[in-house]
Amino acid sequence: MLRRSFTAVLEKNSTFTADFATEPYETGWAIEARWFVRILEISGENVELTLTPQISADGLFWCDEGSGPLKMSASLASIPLVNFGHWLRLDGSLTGEMPRVKVLIYLALKG
Amino acid sequence: MPMTEDLRRSILQADVRLSKYNPLSRILFYDDFDEGINGWCELIGNHAGNLDDIRELSKDFRPPQLSSCTFFDIGTHGSVDGTYSLKLATRAKKNHVAIAIKRLTYTRRGLVQFETYFTFKTEQTFGAESGSSNWDGNIAPSEKLFGDITFSNDICDGDTGARYMGAARYLNTDHEGNMVQKWMYKTSVQPTTKMERQGITPPNQDFHTVSPDDWREISGGHQPLCFNETASKVNWHYLRWVFDTEHRRTTELQCNDIVMDLSHIEVPVYEQEYHGIPNLLNFLVDVRTHADVRNFLYLDSVLVSVDW
Repeated sequence: MLRRSFTAVLEKNSTFTADFATEPYETGWAIEARWFVRILEISGENVELTLTPQISADGLFWCDEGSGPLKMSASLASIPLVNFGHWLRLDGSLTGEMPRVKVLIYLALKG
Repeated sequence: MPMTEDLRRSILQADVRLSKYNPLSRILFYDDFDEGINGWCELIGNHAGNLDDIRELSKDFRPPQLSSCTFFDIGTHGSVDGTYSLKLATRAKKNHVAIAIKRLTYTRRGLVQFETYFTFKTEQTFGAESGSSNWDGNIAPSEKLFGDITFSNDICDGDTGARYMGAARYLNTDHEGNMVQKWMYKTSVQPTTKMERQGITPPNQDFHTVSPDDWREISGGHQPLCFNETASKVNWHYLRWVFDTEHRRTTELQCNDIVMDLSHIEVPVYEQEYHGIPNLLNFLVDVRTHADVRNFLYLDSVLVSVDW
């Protein structure tokens, strides 16, 4: 049997002006995961988006997974994960003056 | 009964996975979500490459998930037979809807039967938000925070033929949070991207209908379902929905022990022609929250069969 894979688009052309977290996503079946974040637009002074993968036992209460944080200000970035348990989400925090960022966020899973 | 039919029934009844279903003569597909996603994906509104062009209501139907039904109090619940089910999850935002779709085309017109085992839950809330101050020890406050579930289709007769979408909705609560617990049918078409871009209909609030009020009760469709007292107790329900692509009708809806005759209900047909979708045969499931709380719909498995 071939391995299963699934890509979820957690945010589509979503614009954020403050810190955010993606919706809870169940990943119990997957062995490996990889976040992809594509910045479509970014504006403000010295704006950076900091990405921190988070995990949860129940989809309700969250802690940092341990990878990252990854800072990005343009283009495409990716974070690989293993041993992440049954739930994943991505925390995004914005720094700089009047930050505004428009993103696509993908979660690519394989198991 | 012909011997071949006897043999077929015996084989189905001896199959531990299929014997809980009642398929028509040909099984078109059987999706056990322990095996993977099986072609169920997020519905998205039409666009020509620019995601900003997608209609507001149709740009965020959320990716489906393979869920183990894991909760904070008991851990993993699992599905009917196995661990995983297909899960649709809304955002915690009033009127948000999550929709998954499976897309096929048909080789003949006739009866199509959609069967599934499903359950529905509301995300656990805590403190004052949970409504626990008035809790009587029996009725789950979170049951009143669950909105509705809709099973629907999208059919097109040949090339540029009549297009129509049947729908069966379980309305758990109204938008004020009062329990309704009734099966409903719709009386208007689902506004399409084409209709909105051509100014035929204004942006709709209910994905399935022109007006949110375009729903009527199905006769005999009052049916309290088994929410079971707590946000983490999962009881699966059998559902069977039959539609007839020869006569453009939905014909029958069964949920557990209630069977509803739909054959007299007219399915709204589009006035416009649609190109590029000959022999369309799409299956959709969705869940909508009426409160700022995530609502979940789970399908253990799906079996679709036809009489052709």
